Amino acid sequence: MRRRFGAVQAVDGVDLELLPGEIHALVGENGAGKSTLAAIAYGAVRPDEGTIEANGVVGLVHQHFKLIDRLRVWENVLLNREPRKGWTIDVPAARERVRSLGTRYGLDVDPDVLVETLPVGVKQRVELLRELDREPTVLLLDEPTAALAPSEIASFFTTIQDLAARGTAIMVVTHKLAEVIAYSQRVTVMRHGRVVARHQTAETTAAEIAREMVGGEVPPLAEREMRAPQPLLDARGLTAHSGTSVLHEATFTVGAGEIVGIAGVEGNGQSALADALAGIIPFGGTLLFAGTALRGDDSPAARIKAGVRVIPQDRLREALVLDWSVRDNAALGRQRTLPLARFDAAAREIIERFDVRPPNPGAIVGALSGGNQQKIVVGRALLGAPRLLVAYQPTRGIDIGAAALVQSRLIEARNAGVGVLLISFELDEIFACADRVLVISDGRFVGTFAHDEIDRGRIGALMAGHA
Amino acid sequence: MNALWRVRGLRDLLVVIVLVFGVGSIAMLLAHVSPIDGFSALFDGAFGTWEEIAETLVQTTNLLFPALGIAVAFRAGMFNIGAEGQLILGGFAAGWLGAQVPAPAWIAIPMVLIAGALAGGVWGAIPGFLRARFGANEVIATLMLNVIAVLLATYLVTGPLIQAGGGAQETALLPKAAQLGDLVPDSRLTWAFPLALVLAFALRWVLQRTVFGYELRAAGEAPEAAKRAGIDLGRTALVAMAISGALAGLGGATIVTGVLHRFNVGLSPGYGFIGIAVALVGNLDPLWICVAALGFGILQSGGIAMQAEAEVPKQVVSLVTGLVIIALAGRRVVASRRTT
Repeated sequence: MRRRFGAVQAVDGVDLELLPGEIHALVGENGAGKSTLAAIAYGAVRPDEGTIEANGVVGLVHQHFKLIDRLRVWENVLLNREPRKGWTIDVPAARERVRSLGTRYGLDVDPDVLVETLPVGVKQRVELLRELDREPTVLLLDEPTAALAPSEIASFFTTIQDLAARGTAIMVVTHKLAEVIAYSQRVTVMRHGRVVARHQTAETTAAEIAREMVGGEVPPLAEREMRAPQPLLDARGLTAHSGTSVLHEATFTVGAGEIVGIAGVEGNGQSALADALAGIIPFGGTLLFAGTALRGDDSPAARIKAGVRVIPQDRLREALVLDWSVRDNAALGRQRTLPLARFDAAAREIIERFDVRPPNPGAIVGALSGGNQQKIVVGRALLGAPRLLVAYQPTRGIDIGAAALVQSRLIEARNAGVGVLLISFELDEIFACADRVLVISDGRFVGTFAHDEIDRGRIGALMAGHA
Repeated sequence: MNALWRVRGLRDLLVVIVLVFGVGSIAMLLAHVSPIDGFSALFDGAFGTWEEIAETLVQTTNLLFPALGIAVAFRAGMFNIGAEGQLILGGFAAGWLGAQVPAPAWIAIPMVLIAGALAGGVWGAIPGFLRARFGANEVIATLMLNVIAVLLATYLVTGPLIQAGGGAQETALLPKAAQLGDLVPDSRLTWAFPLALVLAFALRWVLQRTVFGYELRAAGEAPEAAKRAGIDLGRTALVAMAISGALAGLGGATIVTGVLHRFNVGLSPGYGFIGIAVALVGNLDPLWICVAALGFGILQSGGIAMQAEAEVPKQVVSLVTGLVIIALAGRRVVASRRTT
């Protein structure tokens, strides 16, 4: 199979075979062509060359949910396939169909709930149900566990294994190698649009796959130097709400030269915490920053001026202007202090320090891969002497090499005396980087662990709301 | 999001041209006129003589001011469709003040122009303020303020601010000192035309080369990212709308002092609305808007000749203009569906 987008050969002569009843993992760095391959297999993208043969229906579950929030579960699941009664939709039959589908696959969801009110894990079930209603013989899953909690991931794969046992061919596109090893039977590794390795999962290791994905050794993270953190941020009874995200009376400190990790499942108050620190939303309680009290009605501009930088969770919406060049994006947030003539130098510095590709300040950011976009967001936050860095999911959806680079730069900033608040849904990331871990559940801090006392099981239980 | 409004490359320009000639031809055929006769009457009317060329440039100027204003608002993510009302009130302020306060030319002309810009700016700032303060939708607010502007101007010019020497719904004739000088003798083309061109270049410089322009474009392109970069979205919306209204109001003032020499409630055949098409076809870029304004200026001035000579109703021009707006806006809807 071949497919070219502009100058990029996204998929370059790939052969792939899925067998009924198998879980086949497709791994590769961002931009390796996995998603394009999945889209070709689904029929959403036409290949320039090559053919696809499928025995039956092909289903695809997207990484970013394609659900209509304002509609009910059954309306989403049966969209365009609604059971009819004359000119109208047979609502009782529709409801029953969704309910029985849920029972059959162990994916229980109330058919009448509005999708917008559902937590992420349940939305995923709805997404899956919608594809299952078409009775696919081939099911493609694009980064299916990106937004799930550890316990949800386990139950998700139980469902998937169940489906495979019924004879469905399943392909999981992922970058989480632990899941590949735990749940797949075969692995195909892609790099630069080509298949570079195929394995029986039982005969390989995560380390080997990682090397093949990167095309060499995975760069080790920067060393965390020993240092005694100086007081920087002192939050007492911090209370805030941002949309549905609520934070209750959080009390914590972040020292200069310290990475504090916030471990928690998405939707437990992290957004309110990040937005309150960014100055996007007002807060209650007190927030002392370098000895002075921050005001609850400060603007983001005042926080930036004070030395607070935020890496927002959603780089496409909250961090970047996609139609702009790297140069113009590099200055965003510092436009009041950075002369126009220096934009280019700022962009070049980020490109250099973060190995952004292509190394062209004039490149349009929307055309870069997710990893390179994120490097710009992180690089920008670290330029101009930040004092406190709030990193909210700083490696979300980017490949191993880019993630390691971003994490190393965070550690280096810490070593240089920056206070870092690392909010992440990926426990491995927090364990690798943080000096201290705070566990957040339902908007409250429910546990604190120093780096050498980290207890994965205990943290997982606290995250799930078990005290 | 705002990029979706823009003309993307030659293909879109081609669509516009095909629309103008294709739909125009069909409309002419329906009016039992040969499209060849119709269009040749149109172009002859726009370029046939020096006077006609000058009149084409008058129409270009009248479209250019509101179109530039609309572009500023659109670039800031504010869909200002109230340029018509801003233009009318700007024209009224200019005409009334110019006739009311006699002054030498070097005071009178700047005074009249500034009055127009201020009135239009205030009228534009109202929906900007409502959006900044209460989150009110600016499309609805500007649309409604158009109606209010016409009624307000009519009320003022026939009621409390009536002037001796004005006809029905008119102010008195401006004194010579308050009239803009002609650029071409025996035409209505004045210094307003070069002024509009200079403003277009200045506007492009402001948008591309200043911190203010950078913040305005960021707010329009990616409001969430702009907010997190310390840009005050409310203030940007307010200022962009005030500038947008001021440009439209200035346009109204130039029509009054340069073309009609008095304010009349009917001074605009819809420049504020056609200006939307001009701004969109001009890719919201001030320099391309100058080119687009010329194109629509040809349609405007040629349309009158076409009606007189080829007996094609002038409304064909309105029809074509409307379709251009629908085509560009419709493409935006399609594109935004594809991306979400």
